[in-house]
Amino acid sequence: MGLLSVEGVIAGYSAADEILKGVSLAVEAGEIVAILGPNGAGKSTLLKSIAGLIRPKRGKVSFAGERIDGLAPRQVSARGLAFVPQEQNIFPRLSVLENLEMGGYVDPAGAQRRIPALLQRFPMLAEKRRQAARTLSGGQRQVLAMAMALMVEPKLLLLDEPSAGLSPIAAERLFATVSGINADGIAIIMVEQNALEALSIAKRSYILVDGRNSRSGISAELAADPEVRRVFLGG
Amino acid sequence: MQEIAQLLINGIVSGTILAVPAIGFTAIYAVLRFPNFAVASHATVGAFAGYVANASLGLPAPVAVLAGFAVAGVVGVASDQLALRPLRPSGALASAIASVALMIALENVLRFVFGNDLRGFDLPIMRDWRFGGLRVGPQQLQNLGMAVAAMTALFLFLAFARTGKAMRAVADNPALADIKGIDPERMARLASFIGMGLAGAGGVLLGLDTSIDPLTGFRAILAIFAAAVVGGLGSIPGAVVGALTVGIAEELSLVAFQPAYRTAVGFVAILIVLTVRPRGLLGERAY
Repeated sequence: MGLLSVEGVIAGYSAADEILKGVSLAVEAGEIVAILGPNGAGKSTLLKSIAGLIRPKRGKVSFAGERIDGLAPRQVSARGLAFVPQEQNIFPRLSVLENLEMGGYVDPAGAQRRIPALLQRFPMLAEKRRQAARTLSGGQRQVLAMAMALMVEPKLLLLDEPSAGLSPIAAERLFATVSGINADGIAIIMVEQNALEALSIAKRSYILVDGRNSRSGISAELAADPEVRRVFLGG
Repeated sequence: MQEIAQLLINGIVSGTILAVPAIGFTAIYAVLRFPNFAVASHATVGAFAGYVANASLGLPAPVAVLAGFAVAGVVGVASDQLALRPLRPSGALASAIASVALMIALENVLRFVFGNDLRGFDLPIMRDWRFGGLRVGPQQLQNLGMAVAAMTALFLFLAFARTGKAMRAVADNPALADIKGIDPERMARLASFIGMGLAGAGGVLLGLDTSIDPLTGFRAILAIFAAAVVGGLGSIPGAVVGALTVGIAEELSLVAFQPAYRTAVGFVAILIVLTVRPRGLLGERAY
């Protein structure tokens, strides 16, 4: 039994709307899985359905052997599954330190223990801990968002386009951070537009097209596939 | 010059008292995202609770303020759950309109129970203090002190308590707060309790300064709303700055206009702010 299993999920933002038309995927403990595909394929919708922000109309989402579809986001989070949205993923008017505290809101005693470790791991956050989070750059905000997610010691991290809007250097640093988090044994599902980078750090990948599974497999094999290269990697 | 200095002192005192219900109004707006005009009737509920504590039970003014806070806070949570919460899915406008209806209903409940008469708190008669030709009443200063204490307590709660920080987080980014495990409904109840409690405490402070009747809060709502808009809706420091601005402007208007026109200052303040700086003096977004 894998860590996460998604089976035939149909979901959308309204009753008449079906963005996901029967998507399935599986994630094993400790691996990085990339979700790729063109705009509108349903990648972010899939993450939101797993995180409890969208209730699937049909299908099943199970985490560590327990059904989680239909649970509220905070109930999903409490089970060790942390979601980092693409945008608005920090509390801009709270300080960096307060953002970390809120990241660990469900476990206040544990949060006080984890904050020093996270500040040591991300020295930039330690340096700016008293500043309002809105003063951070785009890359720094993504690091803060991931650090907030780590405050609950998740088993699985869901990252929605973490490199969107970042400079190439900032994106490179961010992917290094993602690999570092995974090295601690935390499984990661990453939705990315930067397909080459995502394929290079993910063990396995899924390609979605129009709300359905299109291709899936070992990332290195997908990256070498001529059709995948032509359609999704620009040659 | 001396007249202006006296008006400034009066404006600072009345602005500080006005800041208490204005903070309540803006705190509810920050968390629940609609202007809850029932703050007016909760100020009156608090004023009558404080009156009962002071005039009927013989308790001192600071205890009356606490009683006003507690009773208005509890009524605020109950009325929000019964009358406003079911309308939240229909949007901010529906909730705002319902809050006007709630304000009228609560006012009439008070009218039914207490009647229409003006009532005064049971306070010792004390001579004003005079210095350099300026006058300050001891009760005015005590009211000022209680208003500052209420605001300080709120600031400390929001800055240092875990629940206070969670409330600010919900105001900042409600979707993310939900993901992080902060229960939005619990925070909504807390915001209603604190916001309406502060309105109630403000109602007692207004009553200690003058007298009370079922329209005490209604007469203050324009100034409360103006203070919140001038400071920036949703910004608690903004509400304090806005209240001081409106309080001082109301007093200074007496230099040029009849007292009857004093309430127009709130309208003018809203008009100027919405024209020149729609997000308010300390607000971060325009509404």
